[in-house]
Amino acid sequence: MRRVLLLTLVALGIGAPAAMSQSAPPKKLAASLERIFGRGVRVDSIIADTAIVIRVHAGDALLGYAAVRNAMGKDQPITYLVAVDTALALLDVDVLVYREPYGGEVAYEPWRRQFRGKGPGDHLEVGREIRGISGATISVNAVTAGIRRALSDLAGWRKAGVL
Amino acid sequence: MVPRLIAALLLLGAFSPLPLSAQVEPSATTLGGYGEVHYANSSAAGVPGRVNLARFVLFVGHRFNDRITLRSEVEVEDAKVAGGESGGEIALEQAYLDFRVGDQFTLRAGLLLLPIGIINEMHEPPTFNGVSRPTFSEVVLPSTWRDIGVGALGSVPGVPGLGYRAFIVNGLLAQGFDGASGIRGGRQEGRDASFANPALTGRLEWSRAGLKLGGSAYYGGSANGDSTLGTGAFDAPITLIAADARYDIGAFAFRAEAANISVPDAGAINSVFGNGVGKRIAGWYAEGAYNLLRVLAPASAHKLNGFVRYERFNTQASVPPGTALDGALARRITTVGLTYKPVWNVALKADYQFRRDRAHAAEDEVVALGVGYQF
Repeated sequence: MRRVLLLTLVALGIGAPAAMSQSAPPKKLAASLERIFGRGVRVDSIIADTAIVIRVHAGDALLGYAAVRNAMGKDQPITYLVAVDTALALLDVDVLVYREPYGGEVAYEPWRRQFRGKGPGDHLEVGREIRGISGATISVNAVTAGIRRALSDLAGWRKAGVL
Repeated sequence: MVPRLIAALLLLGAFSPLPLSAQVEPSATTLGGYGEVHYANSSAAGVPGRVNLARFVLFVGHRFNDRITLRSEVEVEDAKVAGGESGGEIALEQAYLDFRVGDQFTLRAGLLLLPIGIINEMHEPPTFNGVSRPTFSEVVLPSTWRDIGVGALGSVPGVPGLGYRAFIVNGLLAQGFDGASGIRGGRQEGRDASFANPALTGRLEWSRAGLKLGGSAYYGGSANGDSTLGTGAFDAPITLIAADARYDIGAFAFRAEAANISVPDAGAINSVFGNGVGKRIAGWYAEGAYNLLRVLAPASAHKLNGFVRYERFNTQASVPPGTALDGALARRITTVGLTYKPVWNVALKADYQFRRDRAHAAEDEVVALGVGYQF
């Protein structure tokens, strides 16, 4: 089942082939989607503006949406996934590729779980709603701003009738 | 099943190239930097105030591909280096290549920062309170401590939040040690250096939201083939252990560091070089800060940290027989001050220091002002 999901993601152009690996490795992306939405999910995609939004289904039911994005860290992009339910409440965030030597703590679950349940209306400010990590200020700010933008984009597309 | 799925996707035009928003440039060059300007005035009689462009650092990074990156920093200290005049420095602070194999393993080689304590690896001015770095981080842990080496870093599999760094680097030179600043003068910093004594250094770091705990170690010889001190790689050894903690909760931020450095052959080193280095160099500091704007202007995203730091260290915590003990080296420094950050990477600083020592020999108070930035 993982294999079907994997091939679909590659075919959709969402996961990049490993040799290029400039974006999310498809295996990691498939594992992340199964972890968040459950095993055996099916995906398709829609294009919103220039971005791909992954739609996640179980059988005929739409479970939610996911988007793969990059935020600039100190000198390297951080590739992360934002997953929301059909009401655009955040289910989870996953850091798919972290390329810098410091600040990798943004990938750890105890930090990421602060975002669960947040939505486009939440402020998500570091130091208030979101606790920072000492020594990872740049990455924490970059990923938090990226998540805020992703949620706001999704809300905009929902309003425009794209989702 | 699968071929049919792919065929269906083909018909749907799903093999379109990745949209821009999710793409990463295959290679790119990044520019960054940091800097700080200081003003300090001591209460000691006849000592005028001083201003200094303490550091101006340019960072250049390059991504060759998704796995290989270069990071470099060129630093100008004290604004200018002029022919025939002492002071000032132009130096490479770091220049290394990283080969990222995976999250658990990145290979690093070049001129690198030793992973010891908080300040050595992370010393951009907006990241610490006080105009100058803690004196502990100059005299006990000699930041910025860098040298040529090779090693690895990454996360420890199976233990969420635990990271490691481990390097073999070029070691220290005993002839540069002294009583007042410990091992600081023994750093070679990659300048056409003697490689008689390699050193091993490493760090473990554990993080949760708001909390970071670290432990660092260093072991290496410093004899440099001297006929008295020994010609072995680990002769005249230096053993360093250090621990640090950072904890942020609400508007409060706390940090503390402690270190112990053993120089078991200090007696022999002092008899050869006459430099009075301690057999043990030890100290600690603790700091608490509170973002006053949380009370004064709760809606503001700016920060105004009021902080207090207490440092206690002794570069001659013990001395070998025959070495004179200088009570002025058992120092206590209390710093109170403010750090204003309109954005997270710009800081305006003011502080007041009370500097005391066991011999009451070099005591004074210092008022300091500074600005710093990073980008």
